Amino acid sequence: MKNKGIVIFLISLAIVIIVVVTIDYISSKPGELPANPYALGMDLFSRTDTALIMFNEKRNLTINFSEPTGLCISNGKIFVVGDQKLQIIEPNGNLLKEINFELKPTCVFASPDNIYIGFRKSLTILNREGLKIANCNSFSDSTVITSITERSGIIFVADAGKRIVRKFDQTGKPVGEIEGKSGNDQIHGFIIPSPYFDLAFNSDGDLWIVNPGKHSLENYTPDGKLRTWWKATSVRIEGFSGCCNPAHFAFLPDGSFVTSEKGMIRIKVYKPSGEFLDVVADPSKFKDNVHAPDVAVDGLGNIYALDIDRKMIRLFVKKENR
Amino acid sequence: MKNWIKLTLIFTLLFYSLAGVAQQQRFPKPEFGTGYHQPTPVTPEPRALVLEYSDVVILLIVLSLASWLALRKRSRKGMLWLSVFTLLYFGFYRNGCICAIGSVQNVALTIFDPGYAISITTLLFFLLPLVFTLYFGRTFCAGACPLGAIQDLLIIKPLSFPDWLRKTLGLLPYLYLSLAVLFAATGTDFIICRYDPFVGIFRMDAPFHMVILGIAFLLMGMFVARPYCRFLCPYGVLLNWMSRFSKWHLAITPAACIQCKLCSDSCPFDAIDYPTDEKQIKNRIWGVNRFLFYALLIPIWILVGGYTGSKAHTWISKANSKVYLAELLITKPEVRNDDKNLDVQAFLSSGKSMETLVNEASVIRHKFYIGCWIAGGFMGLVIGMTLLSQVIYRRKEDYQPDKGNCYSCVRCISYCPVKK
Repeated sequence: MKNKGIVIFLISLAIVIIVVVTIDYISSKPGELPANPYALGMDLFSRTDTALIMFNEKRNLTINFSEPTGLCISNGKIFVVGDQKLQIIEPNGNLLKEINFELKPTCVFASPDNIYIGFRKSLTILNREGLKIANCNSFSDSTVITSITERSGIIFVADAGKRIVRKFDQTGKPVGEIEGKSGNDQIHGFIIPSPYFDLAFNSDGDLWIVNPGKHSLENYTPDGKLRTWWKATSVRIEGFSGCCNPAHFAFLPDGSFVTSEKGMIRIKVYKPSGEFLDVVADPSKFKDNVHAPDVAVDGLGNIYALDIDRKMIRLFVKKENR
Repeated sequence: MKNWIKLTLIFTLLFYSLAGVAQQQRFPKPEFGTGYHQPTPVTPEPRALVLEYSDVVILLIVLSLASWLALRKRSRKGMLWLSVFTLLYFGFYRNGCICAIGSVQNVALTIFDPGYAISITTLLFFLLPLVFTLYFGRTFCAGACPLGAIQDLLIIKPLSFPDWLRKTLGLLPYLYLSLAVLFAATGTDFIICRYDPFVGIFRMDAPFHMVILGIAFLLMGMFVARPYCRFLCPYGVLLNWMSRFSKWHLAITPAACIQCKLCSDSCPFDAIDYPTDEKQIKNRIWGVNRFLFYALLIPIWILVGGYTGSKAHTWISKANSKVYLAELLITKPEVRNDDKNLDVQAFLSSGKSMETLVNEASVIRHKFYIGCWIAGGFMGLVIGMTLLSQVIYRRKEDYQPDKGNCYSCVRCISYCPVKK
């Protein structure tokens, strides 16, 4: 046959043309349109290998809040804020004290001496009996206070709206700020796309601050110098994803980090060096796409998670075989 | 060579991996506002009327030039450069739209849908090439059609097809025209535009499968000259009819033909008629009987075609989105709960009742029933006439262009040794 190769080539092209037109015709009918190839699908990442889950949910405490916002544990007592009140609860659920405010608190921190209540644009200091000892209103209009901690009499307040950490003395007087930039400006400041900006001291007295836009945890000296940091950007279980995570964190007694994420809700444990270690609770434990639970740790290493949507405190205890 | 293949593979993988990363969205999304206000989308202004008219003027100039180059100047080189201009202007600059081929659908829609009015520009794009063809032959195909130009420039080793294959494949444009008119008249789709294999190349934004389609046609065009023009173009059907009656058509030789046959070898489209075989003329009596037989068969072909079309109308009408949606909701009512089925959800949220949808679908399906009868009958007529044309012999002394199929590309003239 003359030009056999060309004829075969032409027949192949004719088949390609027929197939392309047929597929286009069939696939573009209503109801048979292809799935949106750009649709965001998180199902694959929300499934967690159960072998990684090293904590069991031991029990939970239902709390009398319509909108709880913050959680702290100090001296074996649980401090919860939300609505327009603070509740101090024993681990068995007994309500010890309830203190009401005019405004809605956003966060709480309890030291051995005082209780620090953060509101959106102000800070109130109470003694352990609940009596107000100081108030601080020297914030700007765009301030959004999301976390408080204290060490050596200095109060560190995370201002998500201004993207800085403010420092106050015990009278409420400003004593400095941490902008989150290194001395040579090579490190970007705090990137806070959402009102989630947490900070805490570990048992060694090191100040750690979340830089959620960078998916990192950064260690600063008390005067605001960046000392070290680690980051874990990934939608997989070992990292943090989205605009801004982790949303909250706390320290285990050994210095490991307990992190809580928003969006795809996960509570996980990272080694003090920043390596992923365990899963405390995977997304299946929470409602879809809800608030990130605030987390706190007691002296035994038990993890308390404030489930804002179910309005309860959930206790996670490490599995015994580990 | 191996390095080249490796580089291509690496580039392809890199391209798709980067594309995937670029498409990744952020979850969760930021909650703080940035003060940036998303601008309200605005519908782009239509092309200025003066520019639309200028397109018509340019088409008129190009048609005139093409006719002059084919009939008076008899210049292949001139025609080639004119087609390059057409490709650049009507193809890449005007993105293949508006085009005379697609305007068939606008004309059909404006005839059958009282709610649609064709623009004067579109109408002129439809009519001008037909009028020029009626006087000068298919000079539009030679120099003024961007689809023809892009194929013409890529002809490398054209193969000559046997007569039976050319005749059989030559039925496809009639079928395509029937379907295009049917779909446009019922408001279903503009399939000529949708399956235009080259418009995506002109616009450089085609979906992947349409790029494949365009490339497949261009590759095919290296060995089958102008495959789209010859075996698909629905507008070519109308041009073919007009060209048969053209007043001044291109002639291969300006004087007496010396029957050297060079011209027939030069034509990549098999569009040159040979001098009549005397043996065929001698069997004329038998030919007359066959003519009568085929002529009598034509009404039967029309009936068979129409009946077949009418039987296919249910299936064909499913191309209409309303008909398909109504059937889908009736046969699979559970799709109402399918949140991912955007078409169903769009219908449910529109507030339109199922009864209204079914009524609309019924009206459209009835239109398809009538349309399929006509289209099927038309195809039957075409088949009958094609068979009949096999037994009609017109005496030809010389090598002449087949007036219906000749694109007036002027290739044959440059091969003709008779110059004056």
